[in-house]
Amino acid sequence: MSTMGSSAFEITINLVKTVLVFLLMVQAVPILVWLERRGSAFIQNRFGPNRVGPLGLIQLLADAVKFLTKEDFVPEKGNKFLFYCAPVFALIPAAVAYLAIPMSVPLVIEPYTFLIQGYEINIGIVFILGISSLAAYTILMAGWGSGSKFSLMGALRASAQIISYELALGLAIVGVILLYGSFNLTDMIQAQIGTLSFKAFGYTVAANWLPNWGIFYQPVGALLFFAATFAESNRLPFDLAEGEAELVAGFHTEYGGFKMLMFFIGEYGHMMIASGLMVTFFFGGYSIWNITPAEVHLWLTETLSVSTTLANILNTTIHFLSYNIKFAVFLWIFIHVRWTLPRFRYDQLMDLGWKTMLPWALGNTIITATVIFITSYFVL
Amino acid sequence: MTADAFLFWFLSLVTLASGLSVIFMTNPIYSALSLAMTMIGVAALFVTLDAYFLAGVQLIVYAGAVMVLFVMVLMLFDLKHEVQAFSRGRLTGAIKIASVGILSGLIVGAVTMGLKPAAMAVFAVDGASNPVVVDTTKALSENLFLKNVLGFEILGVMLLVIAVGVVALSRSKGGTHARD
Repeated sequence: MSTMGSSAFEITINLVKTVLVFLLMVQAVPILVWLERRGSAFIQNRFGPNRVGPLGLIQLLADAVKFLTKEDFVPEKGNKFLFYCAPVFALIPAAVAYLAIPMSVPLVIEPYTFLIQGYEINIGIVFILGISSLAAYTILMAGWGSGSKFSLMGALRASAQIISYELALGLAIVGVILLYGSFNLTDMIQAQIGTLSFKAFGYTVAANWLPNWGIFYQPVGALLFFAATFAESNRLPFDLAEGEAELVAGFHTEYGGFKMLMFFIGEYGHMMIASGLMVTFFFGGYSIWNITPAEVHLWLTETLSVSTTLANILNTTIHFLSYNIKFAVFLWIFIHVRWTLPRFRYDQLMDLGWKTMLPWALGNTIITATVIFITSYFVL
Repeated sequence: MTADAFLFWFLSLVTLASGLSVIFMTNPIYSALSLAMTMIGVAALFVTLDAYFLAGVQLIVYAGAVMVLFVMVLMLFDLKHEVQAFSRGRLTGAIKIASVGILSGLIVGAVTMGLKPAAMAVFAVDGASNPVVVDTTKALSENLFLKNVLGFEILGVMLLVIAVGVVALSRSKGGTHARD
């Protein structure tokens, strides 16, 4: 623990960052819910919420007030402690995992360097997978604590689904880890900066019009990863947890008001982690298409002739925007898919996870390892 | 008190408290959830020791997969029936007394050994001769896949045998849940 919190100043900064990123996540949820409702209405040829505020943007504020003023309700046969714990635990893993994703180039203000992420962990991806795998407990606690058959069955379905797809998710990114030779997310982004170029058989292959993104090296891995994250965040077409037709609403049948809202935030949190990881692994993180952060910095200081400190701040801001644009694109895909694809049947879901995605992910891992070995070992 | 010391005491308190509640809770689900909490506490303690990879693996494997399965299976059981089966009878009583004996023996042994540093030194891994490793993941994988590859492979084969055995047992007619 020598790197984190070696002085009171660092501890304060880390705490502030933790709170800031958490607030960023929570504040993004109303916007996403609005997008989801308006988007679904657009896809289904309806209007959607358009009465409260301009374009219905204040609708979510009204909803939040409604949620807060609802009656606090615990089922008679439920387990009170677990029933109250579950929504809180739904929030924590999502928030803690999102903190580890780097969102921009480190901000240098002499003599300090501020990382634009909650904390840098050397094993970034293992940490994120570990933390987000704890989400299964939330669902089980909610389902069992509600003391209702529908909740319990929904919870068992959902957690079985999460455990099954965790394997495919983990294996899909082994190829990425092999490619970059690191667990560290910052290292992965560093490796993707600039134009496409790689070494094979002692030659350097380059394509100046393409960025050096992971998607060009690991297309199968990207597809498998993205599909598995849909299952992990319980979104359609994998929302077996709340199959409305047969399970009422799955594990949160008995929840209402603000507790329900916290499950909601947790679900959107998992979507955000998935989008953030997609961007980080396969789409260059915060880096801009074909332009390195150093070039941006040079352009700021030379062409715009601003001072170094201001250039640093602007550079960080520009890359933060770049990250968020990519991030928003994936969130939009998440929302769009939900209103496009129908739900799987349960046996189809399990078949897809165990018999299709897992073998493909394993094959991807083996092929990636073999290709990396051959191209780096045999020099022509 | 420094931040490190505070973290150590806080995390130890959480880990020990949840570890104790595993055995003191009467509801098996609470016990299993406490065990999961213990795993998370141990993972956090690994982080304070700079063993990040071990912490991550502890979270993914034990807290994220093994304990979730425990909790899931426990939720499917008729818990009252299970409690009765394990709180009556001479055999379970004998097992209880035996396990209390083993535990107290372990505690006495640990305390007496702890009081004699010379005796402890025999069991301690010679950490002094190993240089401090910086990249623990790399060092760990080199240890597993280069230095101790035979033991690692044997362990893998053993796990495979266990998996096959479990499938065979659950499929056979007179298995754990015979369907006559």
